[in-house]
Amino acid sequence: MKIKKLSALALSILMAAGALTACGGGSEPANDNNAGGNDAAVGDNGGDSAGDSGDSAGGSGEIDAESLRGKTITLYTHGGNRVLGEEKKDENGNTYRDESYAYLKHLAEKFEEEYGIHVDLQVNSTEDDIRPLLQTQDPSIDIYTSPNWSIEEWQQYAEPYCTIDEAKELYGDYATTMYNDGTYIYALMPAKTYNNAVVYNEETIKKVGYDSIPTTQAEFEAMCEALREAGIDPIAMHRVENWPLSTINDFANYVAGSNDAYPSMLKSDTPFSESEPMGKTIRMYTDWKSRGFFEADIYTDFGVAMDSVGNGNAAMMLFGAWVVPQIQGRVPEGGDPNSIKFAPAPDFGKGQYVMASAADSYAISKGSDDKEAARLFIEYISEDAQYLADSGYIAMKKGVEPIVPDLYKIIDDAVEAGTCKVLYSYATDENSIHNEEVLTEASLLADVKYVGNLYDTIDVTKEPDWAAYDAQVEKQNAAYVEARDFLGYSWQ
Amino acid sequence: MSNETKLYKVIRYVFLVMASIFVIVPLIPLLFMAFKTGAEYSSTSVLQPPASFLNFYNFSYAIRVGKLGKAFLYTAIILTISLVIQVTMTCMVAYVLHRFDFMFKKVVMTMFTLTMFIPVVATQNLIFRMMYAVKLVNTMWSVIILYMGVGIVGIYIMLNQLDSISKEIDEAALIDGASYFYTFTHIVFPLMKPACTTMIIINGIGLYNDFYVPNLYLNRDVQTFTVALYKFFGSMSTPFEIVAAAIIIGMIPILIVFIFLQKYIYNGLAGSVKM
Repeated sequence: MKIKKLSALALSILMAAGALTACGGGSEPANDNNAGGNDAAVGDNGGDSAGDSGDSAGGSGEIDAESLRGKTITLYTHGGNRVLGEEKKDENGNTYRDESYAYLKHLAEKFEEEYGIHVDLQVNSTEDDIRPLLQTQDPSIDIYTSPNWSIEEWQQYAEPYCTIDEAKELYGDYATTMYNDGTYIYALMPAKTYNNAVVYNEETIKKVGYDSIPTTQAEFEAMCEALREAGIDPIAMHRVENWPLSTINDFANYVAGSNDAYPSMLKSDTPFSESEPMGKTIRMYTDWKSRGFFEADIYTDFGVAMDSVGNGNAAMMLFGAWVVPQIQGRVPEGGDPNSIKFAPAPDFGKGQYVMASAADSYAISKGSDDKEAARLFIEYISEDAQYLADSGYIAMKKGVEPIVPDLYKIIDDAVEAGTCKVLYSYATDENSIHNEEVLTEASLLADVKYVGNLYDTIDVTKEPDWAAYDAQVEKQNAAYVEARDFLGYSWQ
Repeated sequence: MSNETKLYKVIRYVFLVMASIFVIVPLIPLLFMAFKTGAEYSSTSVLQPPASFLNFYNFSYAIRVGKLGKAFLYTAIILTISLVIQVTMTCMVAYVLHRFDFMFKKVVMTMFTLTMFIPVVATQNLIFRMMYAVKLVNTMWSVIILYMGVGIVGIYIMLNQLDSISKEIDEAALIDGASYFYTFTHIVFPLMKPACTTMIIINGIGLYNDFYVPNLYLNRDVQTFTVALYKFFGSMSTPFEIVAAAIIIGMIPILIVFIFLQKYIYNGLAGSVKM
């Protein structure tokens, strides 16, 4: 019967579609347009709607706070731990949220007491959760903290906060490391932070006779050997996900002794060879892998990776300061959370360096009905050095006495002593964007493949096959040069 | 019994046992995880049983912090309203398409079929803006409206059922003076109960598990179970032992439905795919 044939056809199509959907569902599309870190694009100008941006970065003085009393603003944050509390384990080992760490919630309550403006805090996991609200300019979202947007998205969704020059008056050179399009800053970043370095468990390295992270590569590798011999994973990377590989960009800067290792790839025809900082750094990471410096087991989740450092199964992580309080919260009962420390990476040949940038971004949504109240709250945040220190950052607004969190002590001391130099991590850099486009064209950017494809050539269960690694280097160099020439980019 | 039949039987059982293992094995670590403490989860293999199967901390935490009770209530309200409307509308559409000849009948059928080729995601940008314009985003009604639409699969299930309901019954009722509406509501609709049950089960489970639509439209105060579950996922780390407990809690309603309605499920599915 015709209907039966039709229904059979329809059901077959539906089942096939279902099967295909199921196959494709496991991997998320990579966001190649992120403006995070030093990867943002330089726009031509500030867009056409910048007219009503604040007159200055410190605009709270011009806002009539009394007229805003009784209002409610909504803030969406990807930092759930500052709203719900830090994830910890109780004496029985069960997970719970310690609300004393819900710093943003406490700050919002204090703000409401002082200004009579209620801040409704909502938690989002990724940018995708709030993108539809921003696209429709929904007034129910006033402030958002998620930072991974392309510059076009910043222009489309965020109210220009102030001009770069205005921000420079209050935040110095760090203003240029805030998310901007060359003219306007779209998210105020009221604090500074040190980026990827060495997060370590002091108690664990003491077991193999070290009190601190060695300052030279040879000593650092000797410590890793000793840890491995003692049955401790020297470094927890969490390779099962791709994003941990991107920290190599900062380490490439330390190898280069400058802040432009990533965009400088444009200068070379062999960016992945050992002669170039990026190639040398990837080779170094892969060599560490072959020597068993990274975890042999697969961590099912980044939380488990952090647990391994907290409980001493692993000694270090090569990430930013943001991870320190999270690991401290995972130190088992009876252990000392202060044994989790943050130190500069060793000297890879050009000296010891640490990347620094503005941190903790707050953007006002274009659709907000209460932009003044939103701005008032952001300015309130920028002046609360304790809140920023509790969050793991250092306040830097002119006139605000900074409180340096304990976790920065080792790096701060090294910077003060001149043994460790600071490199700025710029949010806006034309060469970085061009390099990103070249990597995208060469199909090497998504999932940090430009690192992962090389790193994964070595199988730790077998004798290292460096010939396969070298072949992959050649392949990537060729693909990179072809894409760069096709796009017509060169170092500017 | 011939050797050939025995061999066939052995192959069949081997295949069925393997299929069962594929389905059951992933659930075992999930069950283990749900009873582990956070410290246990991060320090033991996923295949290692928990120290105690009496540790219900993760379940109580998931219900309390994830507000799963509220999420179940919203899910139940959304499913009840949308399924009642969807099934009623589908029956009516199928009845008209099956029993009446009218202009553009084929066009209507083709239009319904064509909707299968348009991925839900492709139209969501526009639909979201429409929902937003009528201020339904963040209300249950946005999801209910999207769920209650008539789908082609439902229509085919109903058309198959109508094939087995003789037209003479309608004609007899009409001769006795019944209106078309009365004939449908009092004679045909009650006879379509098996197809309705099948549709409620197939679509109900699909909607219960749907994440995309509720996450897009309800990410604040009103949350369905899947969205509430997603809230446990952090941008960096996730307490998977609690997520596992929440998933098991979420499986309970489906299990209850299956246990009590399995007779209808088997009958309905067998009937709906009979060609």
